Amino acid sequence: MAGPLEQFEIHKLVDFPDMTLPFVGTVDLAFTNSHLAMTIVFVVIVGFLSLVTARPEVVPGRLQTVGEGVFGLIDNMTESMIGHEGRKYFPFVFTLFLLILGMNLLGLMLTFTATSQLAITVTFAILTFGLVMVIGVVKNGFGFLKLFWPMGAPLVMRPFVGLIELISFFLRPLTLSLRLFGNMMGGHVALKVFAGFVAAAAAGSLGIWLSAPVGLVSMSMVVALTALEFLVAFLQAFVFAILACIYLNDVVNLDHAH
Amino acid sequence: MAEPHEPVAAHSADGVQASTAAEHDSGGGVPQFEFQHWGGQIAYLLVLFAILYVLVSRVFAPRMRKVIDERAGAINGALAAAKQVQAEAQDQARVAQAEVADARAQSQRVAAEARAKAIAEAAERSAIAETEVSGKIAEAEVRIAAMRDRAMAEVGTIVTETTRAIVEKLTGQAATAAEVKAAGGAA
Repeated sequence: MAGPLEQFEIHKLVDFPDMTLPFVGTVDLAFTNSHLAMTIVFVVIVGFLSLVTARPEVVPGRLQTVGEGVFGLIDNMTESMIGHEGRKYFPFVFTLFLLILGMNLLGLMLTFTATSQLAITVTFAILTFGLVMVIGVVKNGFGFLKLFWPMGAPLVMRPFVGLIELISFFLRPLTLSLRLFGNMMGGHVALKVFAGFVAAAAAGSLGIWLSAPVGLVSMSMVVALTALEFLVAFLQAFVFAILACIYLNDVVNLDHAH
Repeated sequence: MAEPHEPVAAHSADGVQASTAAEHDSGGGVPQFEFQHWGGQIAYLLVLFAILYVLVSRVFAPRMRKVIDERAGAINGALAAAKQVQAEAQDQARVAQAEVADARAQSQRVAAEARAKAIAEAAERSAIAETEVSGKIAEAEVRIAAMRDRAMAEVGTIVTETTRAIVEKLTGQAATAAEVKAAGGAA
């Protein structure tokens, strides 16, 4: 029987010759199960958006209502958190949200969850953090440093609070990536553990008396956890998008907020 | 569903050999820290992200916004039209109300005029009757006064004649009317 961590292993489906890059080292090029999951998510998202926007009508049908609901969710989020400039950053947040949500949900239907790979969540986090840094410096120049100089605090406290702000700012990519990674991995490990109990009970390896109760309790836990995981899948994508908006708002509206 | 299952199944069929190999690679046993797989995943994700970003910003978001704006326009247009119709209806109602009020005022005025006219006519008629009556009363009074005067005059004559007759009888002498009168007047 498969262990609870086996679902996170990467398997090469199609192997390509390794590539040696300067500074990076040897890169193992292959089309893996992770690539497959990402491809499915990408195709589903593009297909969904194409269907929704193919024949848009003023009175929307069912699919269009769902699509516009997702669109409006992120559109309102960027608009209300970043302000009138929010529209410029909508495509980034929308892409981020759709990819994370798609990978989270696909993980509940396949055996592989792309967002439970630290490589993937780190990429999302670095991408968001990098965009925030670039916009901060391009828009504000050296004024970017005002972000770490809390005008609301008493003068004596400002260096200390500023230091804390600086540290927390550079911890953002870490917290962003670990939050998503931990949630997805933890949920799937818990699911797999309970499902393992169900399998053991079904195989009769727990003995005559324990099999039925353990199997039933574990099975109901699997059902309940699956429902919970659907909630977590949406919530983590939503949280990631909200945090991206908050971080973008920090640097876009630096002059107004501080 | 079946396809992604296969590698897992195939892997577990490999048995102990494969899992020990994986553990050797990662060191800690958590597959996510097998860093030789990071480069390919990150590069692929960045490519997919870039393509999706361009598609969303160039194609999907403008299409969505167009429809949403169109809908907002249609709703606002319908609302404005409805408001205009409502305002028109209210105007018409106001005009009708004013007309009703006008008609009522006019009818009241006509009624009041008619009443005033009737009252005036009645008053005139009664005034004429009164003057007629009072004329007749005055005439009658004049006549009565004349009759009284005549009666009084006749009374005077009777007294004089009676006095003369009495005087003639008593004295055997006829007294003239002037004497009697003088005497009567002195008496």
